[in-house]
Amino acid sequence: MSNRILLVEDDVSLGQQVVQTLSQAGFDPHWVQDGDAARDLDPDDYRVIVLDLMLPGTYGMDLLKRYRVKSEVPVLILSARDDTADKIRGLKLGADDYVTKPFFPEELVARIQACLRRPNLVGTERLVVGAIQVDLERREGSNSAGALSLTPVEFEILALLARRKGSAVTREALVDAALDPAQDGSRRTLDVHISRLRSKLGKDAIQLETVWGIGYRLSGNA
Amino acid sequence: MKLRARLAVTLGLAAISLLVLLGWAQSRWQSKMRVDALAEAAVHRMESGGRERCEANPERWPGDRGARRLRRPPGPPRQRVPRHRVFAYDANFVSANTDSPAFPSKLAKQLNAGSDVATDRSPDQRRTEIAVRMPWNEGPCSVLLMRSKGPPPWFSGAVLMPAFLVALVVILVALFAAGPIVRRVRQLTDSVRRLGSESEEPIQVEGNDEIAELGVAFEQSRQTIQAQLASLREREAALRNYIANTTHDVMLPLSVLQGHLVSLQQRIEGGDALGAEAILPSLEESQYLGSLLHNLNAAARLDANEGLSHQDPIDLNRVVERVVDRHQPIAKRKQIGLELAVPETPIEFPGDLTLLEQALGNIVQNAIRYNRADGHVAVILEGSAKKWTLRVVDDGPGISHADRERVVEPSFRGSEARTRHPHGMGLGLHIASDVAKRHGLRLELRDTDGGGLTVELIHAG
Repeated sequence: MSNRILLVEDDVSLGQQVVQTLSQAGFDPHWVQDGDAARDLDPDDYRVIVLDLMLPGTYGMDLLKRYRVKSEVPVLILSARDDTADKIRGLKLGADDYVTKPFFPEELVARIQACLRRPNLVGTERLVVGAIQVDLERREGSNSAGALSLTPVEFEILALLARRKGSAVTREALVDAALDPAQDGSRRTLDVHISRLRSKLGKDAIQLETVWGIGYRLSGNA
Repeated sequence: MKLRARLAVTLGLAAISLLVLLGWAQSRWQSKMRVDALAEAAVHRMESGGRERCEANPERWPGDRGARRLRRPPGPPRQRVPRHRVFAYDANFVSANTDSPAFPSKLAKQLNAGSDVATDRSPDQRRTEIAVRMPWNEGPCSVLLMRSKGPPPWFSGAVLMPAFLVALVVILVALFAAGPIVRRVRQLTDSVRRLGSESEEPIQVEGNDEIAELGVAFEQSRQTIQAQLASLREREAALRNYIANTTHDVMLPLSVLQGHLVSLQQRIEGGDALGAEAILPSLEESQYLGSLLHNLNAAARLDANEGLSHQDPIDLNRVVERVVDRHQPIAKRKQIGLELAVPETPIEFPGDLTLLEQALGNIVQNAIRYNRADGHVAVILEGSAKKWTLRVVDDGPGISHADRERVVEPSFRGSEARTRHPHGMGLGLHIASDVAKRHGLRLELRDTDGGGLTVELIHAG
């Protein structure tokens, strides 16, 4: 199945653009221009389905219903209509997300990646983010240089950031999760703990990014 | 057929039918009374000496006179006995008098069937023939046959003529009486016909009957139609206004976009080596165009409804992700860092998905559009479903305190909101403010620490 993506879109220009964008992003797009032609395809042959609603032949919502009967594959709706009822109906019928036209190609790729990322977000015992590993059960961390000697506060910070891999986490959320408000639970104290954590991570500290206006993020890119 | 003629014909036909029915019933009743009287009189005559006279001389009985007037039997007077002729017969319906007519077979059949009195009309329908069996069943005078001039048949001029005369009178009376009704119906018709014209005259019908009620019903309908027409005209004017405004609003960025493209073409033709950043204004303008159309659509929806037309549970985490992904391409090209943070547990909030997304999109778009290169924008959702804050923080030029209240007035109707900031914050923030208000959210603007603007949507719980 690899990175196969089904695109159901009747507009030739838009279809060509999307196919090109998806190919450049490393996906393997299969483009179908007609709703009737898309009816008989097996949705489980694809990792994501990108579905336009206004199609010749079968209406997009009917295709969505048909796919949902037999498959859990993520479906992303492309909608030109700025109509709440359509979006809500699509989501209720089992669509995972939607993109409203007009859109930049990058937006579509980002939403497809979000669809693919979503099921992996739920926790496992051992988190791996680039060179950094966090064992939630043993409460231990390690990097490319080996095991890290972390204080309980530093471990909590690292664990929360690893759980939200690639996402920015606010200072407030880190303070709430890692610091004792009765003692030193301030944002300044958090910065001190982060600084210490970075020095312990050594060359892998590059993964621990400061996010302007928000807080910190543990990036998977070493 | 006109109402007056229909009424006259209906009443006339009803009168004729009724009178003919009455004539028929009366004719039947008279015939019966006549037969009863003749039969009673015959028996009485024979019992009071007639039998002896008949049996003594059956060949000549009842004599030369032919027609006799029977004496009325004793008792209260019931029916005048009509003039008639009488003939005597034996039990086998044979007369000793050669002048007697042959006994009618129909009457013989009735008597043989057990009746004491039999009656029939003569073949020419002009006479009534009555046969009466005497209490004795022997001798030449045991059956009497009487012939008398019959009453007129019910379907005859004598019976029907009064009916037609009465019907004629009824028709004339109906034509006369229907006059005022017809006049009022015509008056109502004229009033209703005038409905489509410019005249706003109310429909009035005098009186207190069904026609007046019909007039009142028409008047109520007229008022309803007038109100609906007025509403339609208002909507049509609003639609024309909306199209005119939309055309104006779209033409401006479209002109700017065309200008950018023409400039690019001229620079390429002039041999300029263009960098990727040269296309940025055109991209930004095209995105602005899309956003503007969504805003105009949102404005039209907000204008059309007082409250919210949708109240579905919305995943705010997803809304934030979608809005940030949507604006990331432009932010990257402008070298503006656009980041987001959402809580681990998604926050659900009942509302209108499109409007909330549009409101947040407007705030984020402004934060990017007015920021400098290498600037920052952060979109942060914090809290829980009960109480949350959605914050858009930037380090751009901000908005002066004097302007803050004005740009978040929840009003975008009329041209002021558009013309004040025809190419920027005006409509977008007005819509954001209106959407916030309808969702029970607080929209606040404040300074960012270190410079810039922070816009917060607050659900205080």
